[in-house]
Amino acid sequence: MKELFPAKQVMGFVFSLILTIVALLVYYTDMSFTAGMTVLLITAFIQAGLQLIVFMHAGETKDKGAIYTNIYYGVFMALITILGTLLCMIWGYV
Amino acid sequence: MKIDNSLPLEYSTEENQLKVLGFWIFLGAEVMLFGTLFATFFTLVHRTAGGPTGAELFEITPVLIETFLLLASSFTIGLGIHAMRLGRKNAMLAFFGITLLLGLGFLGVEIFDFVQYVHEGATIQTSGFTSILFSTLGTHGAHVSVGFFWGLFIMLQVKKRGLTPQNANKAFIFSLYWHFLDVVWIFIFSFIYLKGMM
Repeated sequence: MKELFPAKQVMGFVFSLILTIVALLVYYTDMSFTAGMTVLLITAFIQAGLQLIVFMHAGETKDKGAIYTNIYYGVFMALITILGTLLCMIWGYV
Repeated sequence: MKIDNSLPLEYSTEENQLKVLGFWIFLGAEVMLFGTLFATFFTLVHRTAGGPTGAELFEITPVLIETFLLLASSFTIGLGIHAMRLGRKNAMLAFFGITLLLGLGFLGVEIFDFVQYVHEGATIQTSGFTSILFSTLGTHGAHVSVGFFWGLFIMLQVKKRGLTPQNANKAFIFSLYWHFLDVVWIFIFSFIYLKGMM
C-alpha cells in the first residue's frame, strides 16, 4: 500500500494545498490591491510550476529540452497576449 | 516495433515518445488559447452594463470546493500514473476512477454555480463581463467534461487489454491533460475569483 503513495507526490499535494491557503489570505484579510495581486501572481505561478515538474514529469526524458522550450514559448505568447491587450485596451487610457 | 525496457512503459517505443512530445506541443497551444480568454476577461471585467459585478456574484464556498476537488483529482491521477509504472493495474484503475469522480464533483458544483449566476440575473448576454466570464469558465468546464469521457474510455481499454505500451502511453497523455486543466483552474481561481472578490 505504502509504495502507491510516493513521498514526492504526497509532498507536492500538501504544498499545493498550502499555496491555495496562502492565496486565500487575499480574500480573508484586508490587503491592498497591489499586495493582493503580488500574492496571487506568486502563488499561481509556483503552483503551476509544481504541477509541471512534480506531477507532469516534464523533465524526465531526452525530449526535456523540447518540452520546456515549447512550454516557455506557450507561456511567453500568452503573457504577450495578455500584457499587450491590457496595454492597448486599459493602461493606455489611464 | 522496438521496445526499450529501460524506460517506463509509456515511453517504451519511439512512437510513444513522439506522442508525448506532440501532446506537450498541443498543451502549449492550449496555454495560448486560455491566454486570449484571460486577456479578454481583464479587458471586460469592469464592463458590467448595470448587471452584477464579480464581487456581487461570486461566492467563496463553491469556488473553494471546486478548487479542492480539482487539486485532489490532480493528485490522484498522479498516483494513478505512479501505480501504472509499478505495473499495479487495479490500483491504477482505482486512482483513475477516483480522479474521474472528483472531476464529476467539480462539474456538478460548477453547473450549480452557473445556475445560481443565471438566477441572480447574470446570463451570458447580460454584459461584457458575464459573457467573457461564462466563456472562460465554460471553456475550462468543457475541457473537464471531455476529459471525463476520455478518461473513462482509457479505463475501459486498460481493463480490457491490460497495461500495454499503447495503453500506458494513452493513460500518461491523459494525465498530462488532466494536470493541465488543474493548472488552468489555479489561474481562474486566482485571477477571476479571488481577484474579483478582493
